[in-house]
Amino acid sequence: MNENRAAERPAAPGTELYVNGNRVTVCTEPSKRLLHVLRDELQMTGAKRSCEIGRCGACMVLLDGRPVNACLTMLYQCGGRTVTTIEGIAPQESGGLDPVQQAFLEEGGYQCGYCTPGMIISVKALLDFIPDPTDEEITEALSGNICRCTGYGGIIRSVRRASELKKISSSDA
Amino acid sequence: MLLNRKNSGERWRIRPDGRDKVTGAMKYLTDMALPGMLTGLVLRSPYPHAAILGIRVDQARKLPGVHAVLTHLDVPGLNAYGIAIQDQPVFCYDRVRYVGDAVAAVAAETLEQAERALAAIEVDYEQLPVLDSPEKALENDADQLHPHGNVLHRNAYKTGDVERAFENCAHIVEETYSTPRQMHTYMETEGGLFVPGTDRLLNVYAPTQHGFMDRLQLSRILAVPQGDIRIVSSPIGGSFGGKDELNVQPYGALLAMKTGRPVRIHNSRWESVRVGLKRHPMVITMRTGADADGRLIAHQVRVTADTGPYATLGAEVLNFATEHVTGPYQYANVDVESMSVFTNNGMSGEFRGFGGNQAIFALEGQMDRLAECLGMDPWEFRKLNLREAGDPGPFGQPIARTDGARQVWKSLQESRLWKEREAALERRPGAACVPAGNPSTGPSDDGHSADSKSPWLKEGIGAAYVMHGAGLGVGIPDPAGGRLQLARDGRIEAVFGYEEFGQGLIATLELMLIETFGLAPEDIRIRIGDTDVVPDSGSSTASRATSMMWKSVQNMRMPFMTALLEAAGRLLHRNPGQLHMGRGGIYGRADGEGEGRKLLLPYQALAASTDEPLMAETRFSYPASPVDRVGAHFLYTYAAVAVKVEVNTLTGRVRVVDQFHTVAAGPVMNPQGYLGQIEGGSSMALGFTLTEDAVMTGGCYLTRNLDTYLVPTIAEHMGRIDVLPIEELPPGDPHGPRGIGEIGSVGLAPAVAAAVRQAVGRWVCKLPIDPAELQERPHFTQKAVAVHE
Repeated sequence: MNENRAAERPAAPGTELYVNGNRVTVCTEPSKRLLHVLRDELQMTGAKRSCEIGRCGACMVLLDGRPVNACLTMLYQCGGRTVTTIEGIAPQESGGLDPVQQAFLEEGGYQCGYCTPGMIISVKALLDFIPDPTDEEITEALSGNICRCTGYGGIIRSVRRASELKKISSSDA
Repeated sequence: MLLNRKNSGERWRIRPDGRDKVTGAMKYLTDMALPGMLTGLVLRSPYPHAAILGIRVDQARKLPGVHAVLTHLDVPGLNAYGIAIQDQPVFCYDRVRYVGDAVAAVAAETLEQAERALAAIEVDYEQLPVLDSPEKALENDADQLHPHGNVLHRNAYKTGDVERAFENCAHIVEETYSTPRQMHTYMETEGGLFVPGTDRLLNVYAPTQHGFMDRLQLSRILAVPQGDIRIVSSPIGGSFGGKDELNVQPYGALLAMKTGRPVRIHNSRWESVRVGLKRHPMVITMRTGADADGRLIAHQVRVTADTGPYATLGAEVLNFATEHVTGPYQYANVDVESMSVFTNNGMSGEFRGFGGNQAIFALEGQMDRLAECLGMDPWEFRKLNLREAGDPGPFGQPIARTDGARQVWKSLQESRLWKEREAALERRPGAACVPAGNPSTGPSDDGHSADSKSPWLKEGIGAAYVMHGAGLGVGIPDPAGGRLQLARDGRIEAVFGYEEFGQGLIATLELMLIETFGLAPEDIRIRIGDTDVVPDSGSSTASRATSMMWKSVQNMRMPFMTALLEAAGRLLHRNPGQLHMGRGGIYGRADGEGEGRKLLLPYQALAASTDEPLMAETRFSYPASPVDRVGAHFLYTYAAVAVKVEVNTLTGRVRVVDQFHTVAAGPVMNPQGYLGQIEGGSSMALGFTLTEDAVMTGGCYLTRNLDTYLVPTIAEHMGRIDVLPIEELPPGDPHGPRGIGEIGSVGLAPAVAAAVRQAVGRWVCKLPIDPAELQERPHFTQKAVAVHE
């Protein structure tokens, strides 16, 4: 519903944060949600707007490497910290993909793709901490990410494939 | 052969739209923004039913940043919409009929300004009695929601004489089934960007399942020619039928036209819940009888659907349910009556499965109950009554001949899960046939414990059968078609008026072109979802798009190839008969002394040196049965589903731990897409069966967001799932691949109900399954609880 919100306040002094490796200063109210900051202030639309109550995971980003729902994170909570979005997880060289992205492509772990950025962020966070997760660990890590299209079959296969790919790439290195 | 990546070989391909989806680069239409863009919001009714006494917008119009405040007075054309019947007001003016009804819309420079403007609009309402169920709406003194009353649509199908036939039945089963108000829950809520143009009046960037239908509807509302409006409608973050009807488009379009500036609207989840379509809640009573040998004799069905305040496709959904309550079985005497009733509840409308989900849940429940009465194996009982390949369809109409019904029957009978069930029954003979009418002594002892250390976990295996029609059916325009052309830059363009909402239509079309013409992916450009570019191929609904793309490509294959090869022949001074199309261009015939492997003319060179456009076009209609019965289908897909469930009798919770789906739909056009449709459809069915219900009371939604509307998560999906396609069609079948977009969402619910019966001896007739119905009080608590009772 459309409650009558408090009158707008004058622009606050900027909040400085690091988004995908770049230092940015955001001059909007510190109580604005990170999702709004990313999509409307920084024009980065990879994190998606869906439930806005932290239930669906479509807006998942990494804050200092840990997955958070951008819809529940206030701008002031990000001051001086590192935010990584779906746009920032691939290696910088052109055409590169993170192994998690590659695995989703190979296994078809997506359909409409709207949950995919958040899903991939959650999978990346999982595999960064637990390279070879059990079913229970996969369940726990991804139960905050809703996918309405795939029935999760392709996603589970993508997680397992990503785990393999990461092992291959780390043994190559 | 089970469908998976390994078995699919090179046909398992990375989707053309995949890279942008996994990198976040894909711009959905709700991601779009333009400089100077305004934010649009819609003021909606706070009441499920009320008279409007006055609307005052002057204060709102004066607020800073507000560029437009619109009401019914600002609609230049038809103040109504609806795909089938235009009975839904764009803006209400005398009355609101549900909590999503729109009264005004605003466009402002910021979201906050738009919200303040909405709050400044004053509407005087006088609340009216709320018709929050079909029963209330059908009472004699109920308010009439529409001039023609509170019944949107009735349908019936009768053959033989059921009353007399029931007298000859050895067994009769009667049950009432009810199904929930399921929400599509596409992850991308409704929205879009509306841009006034210079070359044309209006550009609409908003998801829909049929761009030309939106264009037609908007042209009526705006009172402008259709050609003045361009609809760009893909990519889409999920739809499942839910974005087929107009949603935010009328408001975005009117606001953009009024202000002359781009306007963006993107519904919040709560807005989407309160306004959006849901699956029709249906109450279905069935009375079904068989003779002593188990042959079905009589089947009587009454269907009541709660269609909410306006029509959209409520009548068509009811027709579909009416057709599907009889299913693939043969009975001499059938009596079906159905009714779709207007209420002040939320909007019901088109949703994957289209009334088949509710109908088949009830029908298959009857089959299991009757089989049990007869002491027969439920699958053998179905076989005894199953249609033959040449039998007419459920309305007695001629249908395309396939042996799909028998094929999926056999495939399930031979499945791993069904064998597991039979083995379990052999260990406990007699467990499958329990005296009916005594649920407390049902086969719960048979529902063998999953784990001897957890005796409260009971397992059961059940199966269900699905015969599901595709296409819009008799009496509804169902156009199809497309275009192939060699573009100036040498790409071969496939141009279709279909939409990509995740199902993988672009990937399927690409694979079709690669396999039909021997092309490389780089040779192909696919253009869809833009009314300025594409022909009207009909809607991307009713499991029809892949079938129609296949048929189109078949129709265009020879003309297109001939056009290209003749042009190439003229350039190369060769007989076109000695040329063929391949990767990158035109090649010599394979038998032409090694020339087959030699690229003679790249497509780019061919395009550059021809003046006339090289193209082929086709237009036709989805095949329909030659009868006069509105909605009757001609092409059917068959499926069977077996599931293993684990019921926790302490909590009453059901877990689906193993699934087998077999689908007879002709050749698999795209393995990844096919598997995704069946797995994803089955997930939707799992929610329908176990957790999903947009709860309403007194016409108001209690469910507002995904914290209380529970769609399945990955935790519900760690079990096994096998999908076995049956690709064989009769020789000479001209219709090719049948639709598979919906059928995966249908059979799981009745299969789970059958498995629950086997596990704990209880029949389920209401979805989602209420855990309280399956809870057994642990022995050690019975005494203590008894004291408090």
